[in-house]
Amino acid sequence: MSEPITLKSGAPDGPLVNKWDNYKANMKLVNPANKRKYSVIVVGTGLAGASAAASLAELGYNVKSFCTHDSARRAHSIAAQGGINAAKGYPNDADSTWRLFYDTIKGGDYRARESNVYRLAQNSTSIIDQCVAQGVPFAREYSGELANRSFGGSQVSRTFYARGQTGQQLLLGAYSSLMKEVAKGKVELFPYREMLDVVMVDGKARGIITRNLTTGEIERHSADVVILATGGYGRVYFLSTNAMNCNVTAIWRAHKRGALFANPCYVQIHPTCIPVSGSHQAKLTLMSESLRNDGRVWVPKNKADCKKDPASIAEDDRDYFLERKYPSFGNLVPRDVASRNAKEVCDEGRGVGESGLAVYLDFRDAIKRDGESVVREKYGNLFDMYHEITNESPYKNPMRIYPAVHYTMGGLWVDYSLMTNLQGLFCAGEANFSDHGANRLGASALMQGLSDGYFVLPYTVTNYIGTHAQELLKKVDTSHTAFEQAEKEVRDGIKNLLNRGKNGKRTPTEIYRDLGIVVWEKVGMARDEKGLKEAVEQIKVLQKDFDTNLQLSGDEHLNSNLEMAGRLADFLELGALMAQDALNRHESCGGHFRVESQHPDGEAKRDDANYSYVAAWEYKGTGQLAALHKEQLIFENVKPSVRSYK
Amino acid sequence: MKKMRVRLKIWRQESPQVKGHFEEYSLNDILTDMSFLEMLDVLNETLTKEGKRPVEFESDCREGICGTCSLMVSGQAHGPVLGATTCQLYMRTFDDNELISIEPWRAKAFPVIRDLVTDRRALDRIIAAGGYVSVKAGPHADANAMLVPKDLSDRAMDAAACIGCGACVAACPNASASLFTSAKITQLALLPQGQPERKRRAINMVAQMDKELFGSCSNLGECEAACPKRISIQNIAIMKQEYMKAALAADFRAGMGSADGGA
Amino acid sequence: MVPLKRLFTSTLGRKYLMGATGFALVLFIVLHLLGNLTLYSHNGDAINAYAAKLDMLGVGKIILEIGLVITILIHIVTAIQVTFTSKNARPIPYESLKSKGGPTKSTLGSRNMIITGLVLMVFLIVHIVQFRFGPEIEDGYTATVNGVMVHDLYRVVAETFMQLKWVVFYVGCMCFLGVHFRHGFWSMFQSLGMINPRWSKPIYALGFILAVLLSVGFLFIPIYIYATQGGAA
Repeated sequence: MSEPITLKSGAPDGPLVNKWDNYKANMKLVNPANKRKYSVIVVGTGLAGASAAASLAELGYNVKSFCTHDSARRAHSIAAQGGINAAKGYPNDADSTWRLFYDTIKGGDYRARESNVYRLAQNSTSIIDQCVAQGVPFAREYSGELANRSFGGSQVSRTFYARGQTGQQLLLGAYSSLMKEVAKGKVELFPYREMLDVVMVDGKARGIITRNLTTGEIERHSADVVILATGGYGRVYFLSTNAMNCNVTAIWRAHKRGALFANPCYVQIHPTCIPVSGSHQAKLTLMSESLRNDGRVWVPKNKADCKKDPASIAEDDRDYFLERKYPSFGNLVPRDVASRNAKEVCDEGRGVGESGLAVYLDFRDAIKRDGESVVREKYGNLFDMYHEITNESPYKNPMRIYPAVHYTMGGLWVDYSLMTNLQGLFCAGEANFSDHGANRLGASALMQGLSDGYFVLPYTVTNYIGTHAQELLKKVDTSHTAFEQAEKEVRDGIKNLLNRGKNGKRTPTEIYRDLGIVVWEKVGMARDEKGLKEAVEQIKVLQKDFDTNLQLSGDEHLNSNLEMAGRLADFLELGALMAQDALNRHESCGGHFRVESQHPDGEAKRDDANYSYVAAWEYKGTGQLAALHKEQLIFENVKPSVRSYK
Repeated sequence: MKKMRVRLKIWRQESPQVKGHFEEYSLNDILTDMSFLEMLDVLNETLTKEGKRPVEFESDCREGICGTCSLMVSGQAHGPVLGATTCQLYMRTFDDNELISIEPWRAKAFPVIRDLVTDRRALDRIIAAGGYVSVKAGPHADANAMLVPKDLSDRAMDAAACIGCGACVAACPNASASLFTSAKITQLALLPQGQPERKRRAINMVAQMDKELFGSCSNLGECEAACPKRISIQNIAIMKQEYMKAALAADFRAGMGSADGGA
Repeated sequence: MVPLKRLFTSTLGRKYLMGATGFALVLFIVLHLLGNLTLYSHNGDAINAYAAKLDMLGVGKIILEIGLVITILIHIVTAIQVTFTSKNARPIPYESLKSKGGPTKSTLGSRNMIITGLVLMVFLIVHIVQFRFGPEIEDGYTATVNGVMVHDLYRVVAETFMQLKWVVFYVGCMCFLGVHFRHGFWSMFQSLGMINPRWSKPIYALGFILAVLLSVGFLFIPIYIYATQGGAA
């Protein structure tokens, strides 16, 4: 691939509404007796991974499922709070597959593929049926019917939820299906495993190399199909709402083997998180977006007031900047707009709190208007959580909030069948780039993970196996030279880390934290050419630090330091690619805001003429610039328009 | 920001095979606003700088939902705060210069892997024995075709809130896994979707729990006190009902009703 | 009979046995106390008449006694099994293990049911030797109730409780009974699954009330006898 290639989605022809049906009508099948002759590796046990592994095993394939935790139930999908969208239309409010599709495309700022998003909207209703059948205890009305609530970016109530633990309940549903197949012997579980390489044999993905985190053993696993469902890369920012063990390693190693990485600069930054309190911090906590329904966002008008007790600041000295700038949406502007504005006022020096990197979210007026008990009923849990972390009561003092990274829209490039450009290597869930464009709507991540796992991969993997049935029957043994070679590279890499770690002076955490600051400040909420170029240079310096001055302790057995160092190696390279992607995209769209590209009023300005494409990057070697390949986005059904929230 | 001094007494164990021991550490300048695990991060960073092997402990989401963190803090599972996981514990809970002991979960079914990390896969095997509804992915009746009374659904959700951390086992003087097992049995026994496999589930999950060599429940309720999700021991009573009904049911035969029936 | 075997060998099954035998023992203890209340009446006629009526059951009494012994043996043997299972479940103990409070039902007493139980077992042996196999009619312990000669059980009891050491022993043991009963009563419902959220708290409270009533009811007998007749021996 030295020449830029034109990437094709591979979606079937025909009207949008018939594409998925056409795919299913024309796909290759594998008869039930033959399915047991094929094996599938699924890496990751989040919503996408667990549901894919369970569903493929149910069909009869032999599945090997890998996760880094002790149990398949701990993947980060479990932390999703809000809910899952589905176009059921139960509230009789004119919802439809089309409307969900349209909201998602528009919410993604017209940077997603129509065919994929439409299929996602079609599958959404089946997901709810599936989960209810599994015994997922969704919230219900007194009638016994399922309850719905509304979420950002749409005008209908289509979000299903299980208290504030929707992700947990959906994941436990998928996990229980997975364990059912484990009991039947159709799925073999490999916990405590980190995937460190994909093994390609004759142009097809035929296995992986893993490290057993508890023993340090390097293992070879072969199969006929490899699926990566390993989540997003938000931890490149060091501080994010992602879990400590979220990482990019699996998809990055696949990227290094040739898989294209699409739209790495599309990152979603959530406006209402608890601000950073000190340099010791390892993880940020999200506060639900729903708080903006009653809380008013403000900072002092005068810098001099920033350190004062907020209660002592007079009404006239407060700047309710969202209400001022967006009179019709007020505090309820979309996530990206709210986040950017908070950053702006803090950059002006009007941020509050010890770090100066926070804005107030004030419930004083709501409490005055509705009474404390009403507010407690609505937000009691969240207030308690805030209190627990900050030791301040939001009933008495305004909350302090600041944006934080919590989802990444970019990921491995996949076609309509969720296969990467590498034959036999599929990618699902947050790890792929496919369905959210440049910005994801609330309650859509869970929908995508489960759609991929329950209702897309079982078909598309079968089609792939059916298409290559004879070739895949020739089993590849793990003694194949490709496995030997890949294993050797992994072993050498680890040995190298441990050896040079004896002499250096900077721990993985130190370098990682620095990387996080660079990416956050320059490839974060607002990006400009100067900053992005600086980021590239600064990441080079950090890369050099990592290569020559790393300090590691511990051995090759269970060693969280070593794990972090290995992941950091990949994050450093990813950080550089994110900056490169952001530099390339001279437009603002969704989570990617280029300061140079904005309307006079400060709103994001897309450039559809030049950038209506997916940027898919090809790895060109250590320290080399990646090569760009494009997939042109074609909008036959919706017309890209400007988003305005005035 | 307020600072404090911390003295730690931490269980160190190289591998499952060798004997462990306590080691003492002290840290100055710990911020009272730090979380307990951030304090351990600081300790590990210090150890790494000194070229020593850091203390291995598990954590992931650090917001109390993934169930990965698992520390016995001064003799209490997840530390002194009720309804919280270790990652939701803050240093301001402790006194300045307090001696804090940290041990791994201790149970025969949870062997220590290294330091404070234990192998809790026994809990997974209990779920694999029947903690599910055996439906396959595919078309199902419309989600609203079967109504579920709100109170049943809410009670099922109370039980389903379990995060599988194993604190119930850790805190139980008998190392019993009854609360964990009963929470899943109860969730599915309450819901209509769980009915077809109700008996089989109770029998098989309890059998697996016993096979993993967890202890016997003495109705002490320490599990409920330690549970970060405040799951009630009512669930254990329900499990006992379920198991008795299943064991006495004339129509139940062990191993009957293959989960594999047709496709 | 696979289901029944399962009932006896699983950890849950053992708790059913504990609960069921515990239930029988609760019934027995309550009846026993009611019977013993006759000791508070004057001169021992009431208790001797009551004992005589029981003796009239003949073989029936023996069967009941054997049944009671078997029940107690099952309760004890199962308890020991349960204890060993639990000890095995945690081969390396914690350096410290503290209760978290809150909703816990863990108390010194509830954690040490096996200790209070073993004390009660020793008590039972002593108690049975003293009163069931104590001095008989042949030994001259006779009384006349309604003109019929019967075994003077009252004298056996009174002679025992006129000695301070036995009063202390019995009072002590009845305190153990109270402690054992306090957790055992609630635990029985929980172990048998015969509890629902609405009844959980009342049953737990009832356990406390019954424990106090029973142990006080029993332990006051030796005190009463010692106080009214003591020092004569």
